[in-house]
Amino acid sequence: MTNSFNGIIRRNGVICSLIFALAMSFTAVGQESVSMFTIDAGYSSIHDSYLSPITYDGFDLAMGYEAMRPVKQQWLWQLQVGADYNNVENAAKNNTLHKLMGDITFDMQRQWRGALLRRIDLSVGPMTQLRAGVVYNPAASNNTVTARANWNVGVTGMAAMHTRIGRMPITLRYQAQLPVLGVFFAPEYDESYYEIYLGNHRNLAHLGWWGNRLDMTHYLGADLHLGKTTLRLGYRARMEHWNVNNLKVHDISHSLVVGIGTSFKQQ
Amino acid sequence: MTTSSFYHMILKPGAIYQATLQSIKTVVPVVQRCLGCLMVCILVTGCAQQDEFEEDQVGNFEALWTIMDQHYSFFDYKQVNWNEVHQRYRALVSNKMTDRELFDVCGDMLKELRDGHTNLIASHDVSRYWVWEQWPVNYNERLIDQHYLNFDYKMASGIKYQILTDNVGYLYYGSFSSGIGEGNLDLILSYLSTADGLIIDVRDNGGGLLTNVETLVSRFIDKKTLAGYICHKTGPGHNDLSEPYAYYFEPTKNHIHYLKPVVVLANRGSFSAANNFVSIMKSLGQVTVVGDTTGGGCGLPFTGELPNGWRVRFSSCPIMDANGKLTEFGVAPDVRIDMDENDNTHDAILDTAIRLLTSSTLH
Repeated sequence: MTNSFNGIIRRNGVICSLIFALAMSFTAVGQESVSMFTIDAGYSSIHDSYLSPITYDGFDLAMGYEAMRPVKQQWLWQLQVGADYNNVENAAKNNTLHKLMGDITFDMQRQWRGALLRRIDLSVGPMTQLRAGVVYNPAASNNTVTARANWNVGVTGMAAMHTRIGRMPITLRYQAQLPVLGVFFAPEYDESYYEIYLGNHRNLAHLGWWGNRLDMTHYLGADLHLGKTTLRLGYRARMEHWNVNNLKVHDISHSLVVGIGTSFKQQ
Repeated sequence: MTTSSFYHMILKPGAIYQATLQSIKTVVPVVQRCLGCLMVCILVTGCAQQDEFEEDQVGNFEALWTIMDQHYSFFDYKQVNWNEVHQRYRALVSNKMTDRELFDVCGDMLKELRDGHTNLIASHDVSRYWVWEQWPVNYNERLIDQHYLNFDYKMASGIKYQILTDNVGYLYYGSFSSGIGEGNLDLILSYLSTADGLIIDVRDNGGGLLTNVETLVSRFIDKKTLAGYICHKTGPGHNDLSEPYAYYFEPTKNHIHYLKPVVVLANRGSFSAANNFVSIMKSLGQVTVVGDTTGGGCGLPFTGELPNGWRVRFSSCPIMDANGKLTEFGVAPDVRIDMDENDNTHDAILDTAIRLLTSSTLH
């Protein structure tokens, strides 16, 4: 059993390392201050078995603000605040789910300048995230809406590289956020919110770990420095997956990111 | 493939690579293991897929049967063998059926549950098991408006009210979906406070919001009162039910309460939230229930959907009365009486209520 488990880890580890190495080869680092407003638009898919056994597909629209500052020589902090709205349809095209979430994420990262190939700055550190919102199914009865709330701590890692296209400086950046432990809310299998309203609060808060919950966010993008203004173009993937109380949630989104703001490299 | 050969495959020898190769060699195995663990977690948790059904007639039938199998809460209470039902109705389904034919088969299958909260909802029809369609009507709105209210009544918050000629207050609430404002209730009860007793008529009230039940009941209690018990499915098994949770109503603070004798009128059309209202009111000392057994419907309905977009509503969270008993098949009245269908001028149920309130019986 242990050997086969290690075998799985080793095989998948090779694949993941390849992906990781490729990601590193495209992206990377710098000790810079960033202040950026962004808009995400793209595809999203929602499966929430409390609301429906059917998976819904549609669009994702999000707004966000990101601030990142260096602290002393080797550390940086990052704050991300955002709100996102998903509008998704069932395959029969006769019902629409609406999901509205807000989140705030803070992290501190240790930086290694030029750690990779002398050009790529790497950073990694702890993060904490609070994310909450609702998903609404207008066609349902007493399971018409469900709340989502989770607070977690995890790790985030970033690779950034400063380079130029012609005479325009750009910063390429890849960042992954991976919550590890947390607390999240989930009603029981077919528990109505009316029962919760009546005071039955048993088994609503859950310890989230990789055995019952896995969230991930990946961002890959470029900041184009045009004088004092910085334009951002990128891609963000977000996954929220959990399985508790016999309920299953699996939400993903793939979005194009555009943003405007300021950034300047610390010397 | 060994780790070493892997490095050399993706990182060809060269000056810049050689410089960093050694540091990568120490970092990558750690990263490799961490990401490997992560991948295993993704695979493990990613296996938690929902049941997938083909989007054909058989697939939709199976999806419907499975949703009910995993979520319906009264199989044992009603002694329904759902597997046997599957065998019987599956034999009637084929992919050559039209949508309407499939709908009829599915609708008939759901009727086996004898549940007014269970409906199959399609663009062209709604399947139903409405118990009140099989019983005496026992309510005639026009008769009351004409012969008891003389078309002279007040209306607020979906409530029709007036003091009848025998100095008995009459309040008709036709749907618990109509929101009740606390201010409106104050004005209504204040107006009716001079009456010797109050009749609350919830006949043909098909239900609505349970929060409106609480709002109304809270005006007829003077202390924290056990309203009943509620539970829910905790998993897909037929007996996966939570422990019943006792819930209480408290008297509304700083508002008018009515603690004189009350008669609640009910018929088979008093369903769902109205059934819940009658069951709670019946447990109060000053309340008498008159008329017919209510229509039942004590399971809070949830909704699922099929691959073809049809929706199915079903009872999922059983609510019990203050004695811990299910009222799925109705609440029996304290005084059982039917209207005379041939008498278009008298409501025997309302007459009985007036007689009870004007005599010394309830005082």
